[in-house]
Amino acid sequence: MQVQIHELVGATHEAAWLPWAVQYFFLIALSVTALLMALPGFVLGREASLPRARLALMTAVTTGITAPIALLADLHQPGRFWEFFFYTHPTSWMAWGAWIVPGYVGLLIAFAWAVHRPALWAWGQGDWRYAPLFRLLALGGAGNGFARPLGALAGLAALGILTYTGMEVMVVRSRPLWNTPFLPLQFAATGFVGALGVMLVLGRSLGTGQAVEAAMNRTLALALGLVGVLGVAWFALALSGLSPHHAKALASVAGFPVWQRIALWGAVAIVLPFGIALAAPARSGWITGLLAIHAAWMFRWTVFMGGQAVPKVGSGLYDALMPTGLAGLMGVIGTFGLWLFLLIAYTTFVPWDQAGVPKSGTASEPARSF
Amino acid sequence: MDTNRRGFLGAVGRVTIGAAASIAGAGEAAEAAASPGRAPHWGMVVDLRKCIGCQACTVACIMENHVPEDAFRTHVSVYELVTDGQDPAMVMLPRLCNHCDDPPCLPVCPVEATFKAETGEVLVDASKCVGCAYCVQACPYDARFVNHETQVADKCTFCIHRTRAGLLPACVETCVGGARNFGDLNDPESPVSKLLAAHPVSVLRPEMHTNPNVYYIGLDEVLDGRVTGEAAWHPPFDPGASVAEVH
Repeated sequence: MQVQIHELVGATHEAAWLPWAVQYFFLIALSVTALLMALPGFVLGREASLPRARLALMTAVTTGITAPIALLADLHQPGRFWEFFFYTHPTSWMAWGAWIVPGYVGLLIAFAWAVHRPALWAWGQGDWRYAPLFRLLALGGAGNGFARPLGALAGLAALGILTYTGMEVMVVRSRPLWNTPFLPLQFAATGFVGALGVMLVLGRSLGTGQAVEAAMNRTLALALGLVGVLGVAWFALALSGLSPHHAKALASVAGFPVWQRIALWGAVAIVLPFGIALAAPARSGWITGLLAIHAAWMFRWTVFMGGQAVPKVGSGLYDALMPTGLAGLMGVIGTFGLWLFLLIAYTTFVPWDQAGVPKSGTASEPARSF
Repeated sequence: MDTNRRGFLGAVGRVTIGAAASIAGAGEAAEAAASPGRAPHWGMVVDLRKCIGCQACTVACIMENHVPEDAFRTHVSVYELVTDGQDPAMVMLPRLCNHCDDPPCLPVCPVEATFKAETGEVLVDASKCVGCAYCVQACPYDARFVNHETQVADKCTFCIHRTRAGLLPACVETCVGGARNFGDLNDPESPVSKLLAAHPVSVLRPEMHTNPNVYYIGLDEVLDGRVTGEAAWHPPFDPGASVAEVH
């Protein structure tokens, strides 16, 4: 029996999670993955990793502060955020996230402060106008051996963020595109891609050198390779029918030309920077970095706004994939503006390039830097 | 025991217009309101054979519940079905919150603002809702939305303010064809229970295992999930603009 259906009267449903949510999931993923990449240098004490770790820590702090602001802005009742802590509902991943996010940001900032403490203290010893301010910021000493346990704790919180953000979206059964077991892994892998993209661009902007750039490009190629493998496995599971979740997800969008173009674009967004990063690792930081940032951001835009454009009961697609209008645009621009401001402030007021392997004791000299 | 508009109209001949409201509420809603010790389990049976797609329920709901103009708590989807090249058939499908016994919107709410009432309704405590819209995402029926006037999650309540006063939900009371039937599923003598016993019924999205309390008589299975057909024309909307208009 063949049935042709034409919807004559139906209701449209706007996207309930606005571009602010895309910004949050993008920035927090960058922050936690960047922090994880800062740990080999600052927690495990690998001095060769320090130049990359400095860029990673800068990325983690600036995106880590911006992300919760975007999250708060996505609430329709931002003034009631305190209720998350008064009425915690343990069955909700979002409720757990409400505790994990401030824990992570607090540990991240404490860790970054501890890493930079010797240099802050050193700046405070000079005879210049702002020396008292830096003495104050150093809290009266230069010792920072405690940075390592702080970093380890921040790393654990980062894993908590990766878990909760992935699960929060994955458990939504009503949206087949979100309800796939691979989604948390894809968020994590694309997070690494985005964080490395930012680090590459920062490295180029701040002149950290070709050796660092080449190393980051090689890691980027690895992360892109992982994203590609996950993507291929996603399609294989869907097409083979081995995973009903993936099969439903694919079926929910497969018939629409716009989604076919998105799939093609996604493949190009992975293959192109992958090839460039491998072909010219030491001098392609700008292009691979920007392409990587674009890939990580567009993945989230597609998942969140595109996912909400798929009706749960109605026919066709809603227009949520490409919402226009000033409010949505301002959410994106405003968040990136705040992030840019924090980057400028960080590179201006934080002795980021002097951060070294944390050492215990109360040495008045800054830790060794490279 | 009149639990739909047709029954109410039949009763008009026996009572004065002034008593109409009490007749409509003279059914189970009134009994439940008068019997605090016995909690009903409200449910709805939609007889699609009687729905004419007039959208009177849509309008009544909007008027009764002050639903903002960019959203619906209930509406009637209308489809044209062409089976094996035969003449097209018009099919109506009233949609609303299914007040599930296992509502997916409930466990995801981070602040426990969404709850299941003793009488079966899935409700939102508007004073507690933070407007995170997680429940909107979790609902498999697209039955929830964020109200841009109140900035909290909004949905059908089975007109709890009316049923507690012994009245029928506005959509049921206004249903011209008597398609919407409302009553106590716990009471085997209630008209909705009798309808369930007398007819094969379906629910929307049975694969979600939400145990809905809205049942359909005469629902074509091609319409019980996401309807894979040609979409109606949608006016382009702008989520940002709808917020901005309110502000």
